[in-house]
Amino acid sequence: MEQKLINLIVNKRKHQVAFYPNITLLQALRKLGYMDVKNGCEQGDCGACGVILNGKAVNSCMVLIWQADGSEIITNAGLGNMEKPHPIQEAFADAGAAQCGYCTPGMIISAKALLDEKPHPTEDEIREAISGNLCRCTGYGHIIKAVQDAAEKIAAGGAI
Amino acid sequence: MLKEIDMVVPKSVDEALHILSEKKDKAQPLAGGTNIVLELQNGSDKELLVELGMLKELTGIKREGDMIILGGATKLADVLKDELVARFGVPLHEAAAKFATPMIRNLATAGGNLVDASPAADTAPPLLALGAVMELRSIKQTRFVPINEFFVGVNKTLRQPDELLISIRWQIPSKKSAGGFEKIGLRKGMVCSIISTSIQVEIDDLQKVSCSRIGLGAVAPRPIRSYQAEDYLIGKILTEAVIMEAGRLASESSRPIDDIRGSADYRRKMSDVLVRRLLKRIASNLAG
Amino acid sequence: MKYKAKEIPKVDLPELKIVGKPLRRVDALGKSVGATVYAGDYYVPNMLYAKVFRSDQPSARIIKLDVSRAKSLPGVECVLTAQDLQGATLVTDFPGQTGREKRAGSDAPVLASEVVRFRGEPLALIAAETLAIAEAAMKLIEVEYESLPGVYDPLEAMKPGAPVVFEPDNIVARWKIRKGDAKKGMEAADIIVENTFRVPFIDHAYLEPEAGVAWIDDQDVINIRVATQVVEHFRNIARAVGVPQNKLHIIGTLIGGGFGGKEDVTVEIFLALLVKATRKAVRLVYTRDESILAHSKRHPFIMKHKTGVKNNGLITAAEIEMISDSGAYPYLSPYVLLYATVASTGPYKIDNLRVDSTSVATNNIFASAFRGFGAAQACVAYEQQMDEIAKKLEMDPLEFRKINYIKTGDKNATGQVIKSAVWLEETASRVLEAMGEKTADSGSLKIGRGFASYMQSYGRITMFHDTSRAWVGLELDGTVVVRCGVPDLGAGQINSLCTIAGEVLGVSLNDTTIYYTDSALTPLAGTSTATRQLYMSGNAVFQASSAIRQVLLERAQKIFEEEISNLDLGGGKVFVKSNPSQGMPISDLAKLCASEGLPLNNLAEFKAPFTEPPDPETGQGDIYPDFTFGAHAVEVAVDTETGEVTILKSAGCHDVGRAINPIAVEGQIQGGSAQGLGYGLMEDVIIKEGVIKTRNFSEYLIPTSRDVPTTIPIILESGTGVGPFGAKGIGEPSLTPAAPALANAVADAVGARVYQLPLTPERVLDAVRRGKIK
Repeated sequence: MEQKLINLIVNKRKHQVAFYPNITLLQALRKLGYMDVKNGCEQGDCGACGVILNGKAVNSCMVLIWQADGSEIITNAGLGNMEKPHPIQEAFADAGAAQCGYCTPGMIISAKALLDEKPHPTEDEIREAISGNLCRCTGYGHIIKAVQDAAEKIAAGGAI
Repeated sequence: MLKEIDMVVPKSVDEALHILSEKKDKAQPLAGGTNIVLELQNGSDKELLVELGMLKELTGIKREGDMIILGGATKLADVLKDELVARFGVPLHEAAAKFATPMIRNLATAGGNLVDASPAADTAPPLLALGAVMELRSIKQTRFVPINEFFVGVNKTLRQPDELLISIRWQIPSKKSAGGFEKIGLRKGMVCSIISTSIQVEIDDLQKVSCSRIGLGAVAPRPIRSYQAEDYLIGKILTEAVIMEAGRLASESSRPIDDIRGSADYRRKMSDVLVRRLLKRIASNLAG
Repeated sequence: MKYKAKEIPKVDLPELKIVGKPLRRVDALGKSVGATVYAGDYYVPNMLYAKVFRSDQPSARIIKLDVSRAKSLPGVECVLTAQDLQGATLVTDFPGQTGREKRAGSDAPVLASEVVRFRGEPLALIAAETLAIAEAAMKLIEVEYESLPGVYDPLEAMKPGAPVVFEPDNIVARWKIRKGDAKKGMEAADIIVENTFRVPFIDHAYLEPEAGVAWIDDQDVINIRVATQVVEHFRNIARAVGVPQNKLHIIGTLIGGGFGGKEDVTVEIFLALLVKATRKAVRLVYTRDESILAHSKRHPFIMKHKTGVKNNGLITAAEIEMISDSGAYPYLSPYVLLYATVASTGPYKIDNLRVDSTSVATNNIFASAFRGFGAAQACVAYEQQMDEIAKKLEMDPLEFRKINYIKTGDKNATGQVIKSAVWLEETASRVLEAMGEKTADSGSLKIGRGFASYMQSYGRITMFHDTSRAWVGLELDGTVVVRCGVPDLGAGQINSLCTIAGEVLGVSLNDTTIYYTDSALTPLAGTSTATRQLYMSGNAVFQASSAIRQVLLERAQKIFEEEISNLDLGGGKVFVKSNPSQGMPISDLAKLCASEGLPLNNLAEFKAPFTEPPDPETGQGDIYPDFTFGAHAVEVAVDTETGEVTILKSAGCHDVGRAINPIAVEGQIQGGSAQGLGYGLMEDVIIKEGVIKTRNFSEYLIPTSRDVPTTIPIILESGTGVGPFGAKGIGEPSLTPAAPALANAVADAVGARVYQLPLTPERVLDAVRRGKIK
């Protein structure tokens, strides 16, 4: 098994790192230090590893790193930080949508993908968009509210 | 960690086929990867991954004459968004809407779901209902296999190790036809089907069924058609009594097993219920 | 039946500054931007990667365990088996409970050596340079077993001649209650209702699998950075590893979900052993499959209820039998059983009572703590029993309960007088009112409604001398520091403590910071379990902050020449209440105090009341500090052709005493009830002959966003709790009534009951069939 030099742009930062073919995007991202991308099951069943890959929200545990060669990836930490949070992140913080917080990065990625496509989603559309992100703490109520609040904020011009 | 394995990224379908002809059953074609990654965790015997995701020829949906042609490596998310599928492949459109989750749909491919051939594969019953044909190609030849012959057992298809599933195609249904897809699972989101059904029905000017295809998933070692029920429907009007009998016949054609998700008895009963419900919905669409 | 909320008595709760406000939690933004470093996110250069080699047999003698090939694989640093551990065991059985002697040797060995008692039991530890090498080494371990007869059902395990998991028998614990005269009470009844209810093994299914990183430092201290609900395990671990207790340091992280599953020792012991053996940093993170295979579960229970009732609805007697499956090792089984026993009757006045409960060992996965801790299982039974009785009497389920609800001043099943407000009718009527207009039946969908009332203790069993400590300090710039060993599971434990300190010292939440969960550097605050932290650590923080407040106000008294009662702290200032423009920034006051050597910090210890253990023959005694009361209601649509259940509406109402942060309390009500609805609807660790069949999240199902509606959270505040500001606890209570409410709703919809959880479509379909026969 041979390594290949893989090119990635993660959260606008360029990486060129050698990886074996049997490494997943989740493993690669965490190896590169993107610890906000979480391992909840590594089997595509929980969504905690969600990232945006070339504009689409995906379970990074289901992607082989060689398949992502040349790709642009956004993780939750790339959307904002504590000083300048993304409106979705801020909405999550204010609505109580993060309790233990472990599902939160993947959840926000799904929310971002939804709002990029549907800026004014119905509750049903939000539930569908996050149906692949398991949360064991919140019962999804505050998460749905956070997405609705974020949609309003972004529509009112608070956004990226 | 996944099994140690080599990977190659061919630049064309032709190159991919040459690799497969050489490596045969040691090669693993890879498009979305959502099944393959799990197999690599659990003890695959493959030695070479052949990445297909970049190959333009394998993705996309187009109309050629009266056929809809779906590239084998097309993502389920793109299947769901596609206008042609929404208009001319309603069973597949409905199945795509219920397929796994939005994030998985951005990775999983129709072809991958089909060649994996789980008895519960959700793209199989709709394509059975549409009477689809699989385009299998090797460096030697291209052949077309009707989907109802394609599945031969649990995770087994007629695809040979040196072949790729290039496309899936079906004839645009007549104007007087309707179809759909239903499934039952143990929860409402992100769930494996305990049982699924997909039906396409065409009627003539007298409202009589001229053609019907009833696909059933998770009730046999492979996705199946209910030929008994289909034969029964020919020449009949979709009344309540006819629908009831069709459901009963469909249930008889099922050969389910007990597993942790459900008992054989339940699956048999539900084949009846789902087929009846779907036929009722189709009848209502055809009337309205 | 239209329900109207019962008026609550007027409560005079003082208006507070930040307590009770819907503020953003102190940990919320870090989690939302992905900045929080969980236990598996920590990186030490050159750390080794560990794997645990586990038994694939549920009951067997180990004939051969050969790790030599694994040891010699290049890149493997160390392989440990029981031979290397000098008989190290983890204390998992507690002596003396229920008056029985400890079963010989029933503590769990850290690594099994002679026999394995459950599938997944640890046999060997590997530490290697990479995870890939560690996994390869796993495959090189050679093991041979001689299969031994196993027992997988607690009823079978109680029969003479059953395989014995530990001598002398499979009885792990027993409790009983004898009150009044149950026999006479039954004779006085007009009808007797008997039912048996069953609940299965449940997985905590936290999104964060068990994880930790450990290293040994320049003072020979073993440091373990780990997701744990109990930092005090350092003592047990130190003993097992053979190091002094002051050389084992637990650094607890913000946890990605606990629910009781991270309450026992998980990865810590393995990390400590490997670090001690290699003297290098080691990382151990369980895979999801491993987590499901190898960590504790919620106890299955078989609960038999026999209730005597008069035609007017008054309960005259109850006889209850409970049997729990403890699995292969006791862990917290005796205590879970005690909670279940005390809660077995529900919040009802039953003077003639006989309860017998038994926890039984089997070769199944071991069961231990899980949110609700036996009282949740008990509620599944008693609330369904209440509905069944109401049905037989043809009484409205709420009217029937009202006749029997306990009140303030009454005694519970163990004779403990309930001192707090008991808002049972108030909470039940509110959740029923919240259901609104009943959805109409349509086609094959039948609509049903159900509710459940409950009482659940908060605070640990009072025979434990429970304590918690916190240190609070005021910095010279007016900011506040809290140091407390409290583990935060995600429910807002650390946020509550900051809020309390900020409230007492008149400082905003933004100006308080907490250093937490460190066994060496923060005062020990006890376990984050038993819904005890707000009560215990909250009171400790309140005490410590109040001591500083006293110092500040006494000093300010001299400055402003006002009585202390006319001075207050608020908005970062000290000020005169009757003339608020007269004041000074708290930072100035702090600097002044510091210059005069006045103490601006305080270490407080809060002690829970102590009571003797209950009488072993009668079960009578005071057992808990206090109880939370509440209710949950749901409306469901049952598809009578497929058995599928859709939850249309859900509401939870709880008297939380005082809500420290209402958003957090709402979150607990919504999240706890979602977990309870999952318990009711779809969760089941299917285990056959000791082999778990549901090995991942596509087989072990928890609710997705498509499965549970948002629970309408209704917070009531009686102010009568024993926590700070009159708070009670909500962490566990929020889950308890949800599953029985669901079961009652389904029974209402189809006219027949499913007597076991979960309510799978097949089981519901069978109830539909039985309902039609009636």
